[in-house]
Amino acid sequence: MLATDFVRFCLGAVVAHRARSMLTVTGIAIGIAAVVLLTAIGEGIHRFVLTEFSQFGTRLVAVAPGKVSTLGLSGAILHNVRPLSLADAQALARVPGVTAVVPVTQGNAEVEGNDRTRRALVIGAGSQVPAVWLMRPQLGRFLPEEGAGNAGERALAVLGAKLRDELFGGTSPLGARIRIGGEPYRVIGVMEAKGQMLGFDLDDTVYIPVARALALFNRESLFEIDLLYGPEVDGATMAERVRQVLLKRHGHEDFTVTTQDQMLEVAGSVLNVLTLAVGAIGAISLAVGGIGILTIMTIAVRERRREIGLLRALGAAQGQILLLFLGEALILALLGGLAGLTLGLGGAGLIGALVPALPTRIAWEFALAAEASAGLIGLAAGVLPALNAARLDPILALRDE
Amino acid sequence: MRPEDILHFGLRALTSHRARTWLTLLAMGLGTAAVVVLSALGEGARQYVTGQFTQLGTHLLIVLPGRNETTGGAPPLFGDTARDLTLDDALALLRSPYVARVAPLSLGSAPVSHGNREREANVVGTTAEFQPVRQIELAQGQFLPPGDPRQAEAVALLGEKLARELFDQQSPLGQWVRIGDRRFRVIGTLASSGFSLGADLGDTVLIPVAAAQALFNSPALFRILIQARGRAALVPAAEAVRAIIRERHEGEDDITLITQDALLATFDKILHALTLAVAGIAAISLLVAGVLIMNVMLVAVSQRTPEIGLLKALGADRRQILALFLTEALLLAVAGTLLGLGVAYGGAWVFNAQVSAFQLVVPLWAPLAAAAVSLATGIGFGLLPALRAARLDPVLALAGG
Repeated sequence: MLATDFVRFCLGAVVAHRARSMLTVTGIAIGIAAVVLLTAIGEGIHRFVLTEFSQFGTRLVAVAPGKVSTLGLSGAILHNVRPLSLADAQALARVPGVTAVVPVTQGNAEVEGNDRTRRALVIGAGSQVPAVWLMRPQLGRFLPEEGAGNAGERALAVLGAKLRDELFGGTSPLGARIRIGGEPYRVIGVMEAKGQMLGFDLDDTVYIPVARALALFNRESLFEIDLLYGPEVDGATMAERVRQVLLKRHGHEDFTVTTQDQMLEVAGSVLNVLTLAVGAIGAISLAVGGIGILTIMTIAVRERRREIGLLRALGAAQGQILLLFLGEALILALLGGLAGLTLGLGGAGLIGALVPALPTRIAWEFALAAEASAGLIGLAAGVLPALNAARLDPILALRDE
Repeated sequence: MRPEDILHFGLRALTSHRARTWLTLLAMGLGTAAVVVLSALGEGARQYVTGQFTQLGTHLLIVLPGRNETTGGAPPLFGDTARDLTLDDALALLRSPYVARVAPLSLGSAPVSHGNREREANVVGTTAEFQPVRQIELAQGQFLPPGDPRQAEAVALLGEKLARELFDQQSPLGQWVRIGDRRFRVIGTLASSGFSLGADLGDTVLIPVAAAQALFNSPALFRILIQARGRAALVPAAEAVRAIIRERHEGEDDITLITQDALLATFDKILHALTLAVAGIAAISLLVAGVLIMNVMLVAVSQRTPEIGLLKALGADRRQILALFLTEALLLAVAGTLLGLGVAYGGAWVFNAQVSAFQLVVPLWAPLAAAAVSLATGIGFGLLPALRAARLDPVLALAGG
């Protein structure tokens, strides 16, 4: 049999029962569309979270007090016997490759200004926040460099966008006097809006010099030290250098060094598993669609016994009959895959247009895997009926009513 | 035609095409089983979390230092405030008649050593009341002694994992351990209760709260756990706690109160929504199975065209033909659902018998929803083929369609 004949025969069988083929294709298409759409949503959320994380920049190393062995909260963030000090932060600034250092401590206090009060997150930070966290002041300037750690730091404060709105409304707060936890401060800047990050509202904050914050909250230990490193070093090398310096200073490894790469990796792998799980649940539909192909092919073989008998009588080999029916099943599956892909892509585009808050992004590796598995399902579903067809005794088949 | 005749007719039609019927049942069953098993997984997770909360203690109020005014954001988890929550604050809460027990918590991290072994552990400073409030079980020895919480007795309880790492098989009772720069005598070990709300008590050491405050040189408490006198006392207790703290903190409302119920309700809502979403995704496969039923019924109608013609010639009206084919479709759908339910319940039973830590719980709505969907599928997808059969012209149909 010529290849063109083979294709024409298969296509002819599919077209002859149009309604039936349409429904079979629909079954597979729904399965594929479900997988493509669900993984697109999963991938979209993945991207969204990654951008949330990397809005602070990517060449970051964070040092926290205490050794966290397992995932979870170490009590060392609150209290510990071997604190991470401002002197540590200054020492880390001298490590080769480090371009900026921000010592961080945080707490919660009442902020009074313009005759209004509001409780907000107080972040004690160094002067290099704009460089390290990639956030700029929209008004005025950020805290000045005054040899961080000196008790002589001036009582200056920079407001977050939301706190400024709450306290000062539309008026400019520059130069205004405010009280934070009862102590007087002067406002020298307002940060641009940064939005929420993992539940923390970054705009309902006030930034003050770190040494003042430590005194305000009566703490010895920093909450965290963030480092920015230059493009000439990679994350792992930088983390190792930081570790060595702190080991020399502390004698023990009583701190945790995390690179932004590691954080992104952890978040990414968790979200990948989620996408995979959602895709797998969607793939149940694909399996049901496969059973649909199997059913229809079983019916087709039964209906076309006479035709098979005739083909065999005319000299078609068993292998050729097998291929014919396999080809038909494959065509059904691939058509379904194609329709499903179109449906999925269209649906993802529609969601993207209608609900901009829900990010979608086609996960091509999952979409292609779904297409490939549609083909495989078609083949697998076709094998049994095709074998049945090939094994028919031509004489009996011809005599079939 | 009597109803039992119609039923008989449908059953005969199904049993005469065994392969096709079984495959359709398989598809329908797979979809149903997927929905039921996934919803059982979600419901099991929900009940697991509820169980974990109950383990945390009943009628519980948690006081956190600090307060954020952003609604919907996270509570101040690492609350450091300008005015600390102190041990005296905690003891003052006992003045309220609605408060049964108060357990202050001070949390930190310090190296714990015995002999030449050292391990970084979370240090929890608390009082004797912590045991009934959190329902802590001991493996050996006794809990922190009752008495004046302001007294820093040098006694400690070790978590199960910590005791094993420091003492191997030896009994740690009566031995001395060094925590930070102080020495404590071990008076008991905690039973392994696994993870409780993210905190691993296995790697924890419990010491009197006054000792922890001295160790970390800070009077600040991390949390105060309050047990109310009964469920009805929760709300008045919360108000009393607010009033007492406000009075002690010079009129400032600088704490966050979390009731266990509110926390539980939030988790409950999230997990319920997740269960519904997952079951919904799995239900797409039921749609695919419905398409298959439609397909199979279309085939059946076209194959039995002469039979339909005969029935019509014998006087069967349209409605009877419609009833015949709808019954057949419904039989397929219902039998498939029953098969799926059987598999799902059987699977859940086997799983629960094998795994004791986590139980699958089939929620009541799952089989009901599955049954409703299967009926709708049978009618919805059976209608088109049945209508086609009912509309056949008797003469043409008799001639062979």
